[in-house]
Amino acid sequence: MGLLSALGLSSGPAASPPPAFPDRVARQKCWAARDSFFACLDRHAILDSIREAPAAQANCGAELKVFESDCASSWVEYFKKRRVQEAKKAQLLAQMEAEGGQKLDVVAKPADTK
Amino acid sequence: MSTLAKSITRSLHSTASGKRVASAPLHDGISALTARLTSCARIPAALGPRTLTSRVTPAAAKPPRVSARAFSTTPQLRRWGIFKTVQEAEARHKSGPFSFRAGILFVLTGIGLYSYFTFEKGRMERQRNTESHKSVGKAKIGGEFVLTNQNGERVTDKDVRDGKFSLVYFGFTHCPDICPEELDKMASMVDKVFEQRGKVLRPVFITCDPARDTPKVIKDYLAEFHTAMVGLTGTYDEIKDVCKKYRVYFSTPRDLKEGMDYLVDHSIYFYLMDPDGNFVEALGRQHTAQQAADIISTHIGDWRGPLKKDA
Repeated sequence: MGLLSALGLSSGPAASPPPAFPDRVARQKCWAARDSFFACLDRHAILDSIREAPAAQANCGAELKVFESDCASSWVEYFKKRRVQEAKKAQLLAQMEAEGGQKLDVVAKPADTK
Repeated sequence: MSTLAKSITRSLHSTASGKRVASAPLHDGISALTARLTSCARIPAALGPRTLTSRVTPAAAKPPRVSARAFSTTPQLRRWGIFKTVQEAEARHKSGPFSFRAGILFVLTGIGLYSYFTFEKGRMERQRNTESHKSVGKAKIGGEFVLTNQNGERVTDKDVRDGKFSLVYFGFTHCPDICPEELDKMASMVDKVFEQRGKVLRPVFITCDPARDTPKVIKDYLAEFHTAMVGLTGTYDEIKDVCKKYRVYFSTPRDLKEGMDYLVDHSIYFYLMDPDGNFVEALGRQHTAQQAADIISTHIGDWRGPLKKDA
């Protein structure tokens, strides 16, 4: 910080310290960027953007750039992995349903409303 | 004829003693009456079986008058028991012990008892559920702690509960998606419970990431969710200890460099604790805010101990 301001790179006179965590606005921004990147991946039938990184970069390079700038790198990695996990989960559920499995929505309720 | 007299005597004696009105003068009167009856027995029904109703009263002690009337109907009178007049007894006899009022009373009592027992049954079942979470001696989930709240004050678990129910959630401010969603849900749950039960619930956020989540950071973070929320942090070991007590898994690395970007994997349950600090129920992702609020409100309604309501 001190170095940056010394070099005159600080933007604005009262440079408020960035929030120590991604606040609500930052989260919304990150989620929007993620959704647009994933929508692009869907269009190009790419599921795992880590394994198929070159393809993702080639087809959705612009979206990926926004995604990476709007989200912390740990979040980018987390969301990429989660996308694959969610897809696997949905696939497994669909497979089980096709094999005659029944979905159970187990929700605990107060005893007197049973 | 003498047998008849004897049987009358017997019945007189038995009724008199049976009704416990056998006082000394009455006894004398009866003996006298018996004597008279025996002597009068030979007289045909000339005097008729007119009523002798008043004769069993102490007045019956006057033998001459009794002797004037022959056959006694006294035993019949005694049968009416508590009723003052024959008419009253007859009226009661016709309708039996069931009057309209008695019927209403019976039905109302039945309804009352039924609903009471149904309610109690539900309550007992929930209580059994809650009891089953408690172990002998030490609580299985939850326990004592000393941590730092969002204002930088050192607080114990008791200070945090402050005589209310508490809803404890573990998370961290750099959580990508699940924690913020769950905290929004928690805020909504708390509002619903406040509407239903008053301010008897304390939402508590405990960080799993003490290195980055200082009191100041937590304070700013929670301000986005709910004003009633208490945020807690501490040293790595304090957080590790409290996570262990709540059976929360977390993967925070111990040695971190400042500015490092990492995520913390952790359990995502809401723990409902009663005002004594005992675990009541765990609520998870599968519950909507409304379902969770209803469960919490039901437990609060079952609570019989003291409960602080102020903000």
